[in-house]
Amino acid sequence: MAADDDELLDRLADALGPFDREPPADRIAELRAAVRDAAAADPTGMGDGDGAAGADDHDGAVAPIGRGGPPRGRTAWLAGAAAVAVFVVAFGVGYLMRGAPADPATAGGVVEFSQALVGPDGEELGEVEGVRLGIGRVVRLHTDELEILPTGEFYEVWFVGPDDEPGSPDRISAGTFHPDEEGVSDITLTAAVDPALYPMLVITAEPGDGDPSPSPIEVARVDLG
Amino acid sequence: MLTDDVRELVARAGAHDPDAWEQLYRWTYPRLFAYARRRVPSDHAADDVVSETMVRALDKLPSFTWQGAGFDAWVFGICRNVVLEQHRRRGREQPHDDVDPSPGREPGPLDELVASEERDVLRAAFARLSPADREVLELRVVAGLSAEGAAEVLGRGPGAIRMAQSRALRRLESLLEEVNRGR
Repeated sequence: MAADDDELLDRLADALGPFDREPPADRIAELRAAVRDAAAADPTGMGDGDGAAGADDHDGAVAPIGRGGPPRGRTAWLAGAAAVAVFVVAFGVGYLMRGAPADPATAGGVVEFSQALVGPDGEELGEVEGVRLGIGRVVRLHTDELEILPTGEFYEVWFVGPDDEPGSPDRISAGTFHPDEEGVSDITLTAAVDPALYPMLVITAEPGDGDPSPSPIEVARVDLG
Repeated sequence: MLTDDVRELVARAGAHDPDAWEQLYRWTYPRLFAYARRRVPSDHAADDVVSETMVRALDKLPSFTWQGAGFDAWVFGICRNVVLEQHRRRGREQPHDDVDPSPGREPGPLDELVASEERDVLRAAFARLSPADREVLELRVVAGLSAEGAAEVLGRGPGAIRMAQSRALRRLESLLEEVNRGR
């Protein structure tokens, strides 16, 4: 993160920061009473769970308290899950034995690079692969870490040359895309570019303002050299 | 509060220790209140949100684990849902546009006027950000959550959160310039 970002975040924290405020006494008393009620309802103090559920359980719905063995229907559910698991394993084995179907977009090509997409802070965002074909290079890219952009904005993939500078770009666009509604980007692009001459792959977020020049908002890059 | 202290408190809270719950309440309250207050129309309503959040946390604690981004991210996820449920009940999709972005703050003493004015400008610019931008920045700077914690609350990837934060800051800078030009 840039130092300017750190400074702006500090100022923002100062402006918005947690209020210097104590919780009201009556609210504390209510919470303590609720804790005592919960303790009375569950004298073991262990709750009804084993603490192993996912921490992303944010629905906030109050779980029904059940004790004394598995709830009705759990056995049936487990049996169903086991059947599904058997099917999935059998399907997977069959699939592997037959071999994955060839991707017509890259059939007959040679993989030139296969690397991780790297974000501005060095974090891994996904994978990118380049396949050389007679028509040029096919770039396959997968990530579920890119933000869903507002309507009209999009991401653009660039092959960047060594002389590229702000105001004097030396890059060739490989195409544009935006993540699907789930935030997944699984795309295939074609570009007549030699990575030996343009050894950096960059993804920018473009504002959709009609300006064909690259935006300065770089969201990921891959050094192909 | 140190992570070990939080872990100990959460363990005691799981055994229905009222003192542990009170400490967790006091620890999370300023941040939960700040988050809620910018989304509901009054201090009282924000207190309602925080109280409801803690009661739900009490009910849900047996399902909490340390596999996620931590207790405070978990509690913020609950708080966010309490606010969203309130908004759905009231039929208001973006209710905090008309909420004072600096509730409960008193004017500072004279020697803090300049700093106070700068904070006002920043809050005015912040209030003009989209709700999504505001939420990401609030979870990072007000709630003090890591990118992983904010990602857990919002159901997105940490990389997406870092990018969203970066873009929100760029937009905030532009709005700051606009606000300053208009003064």
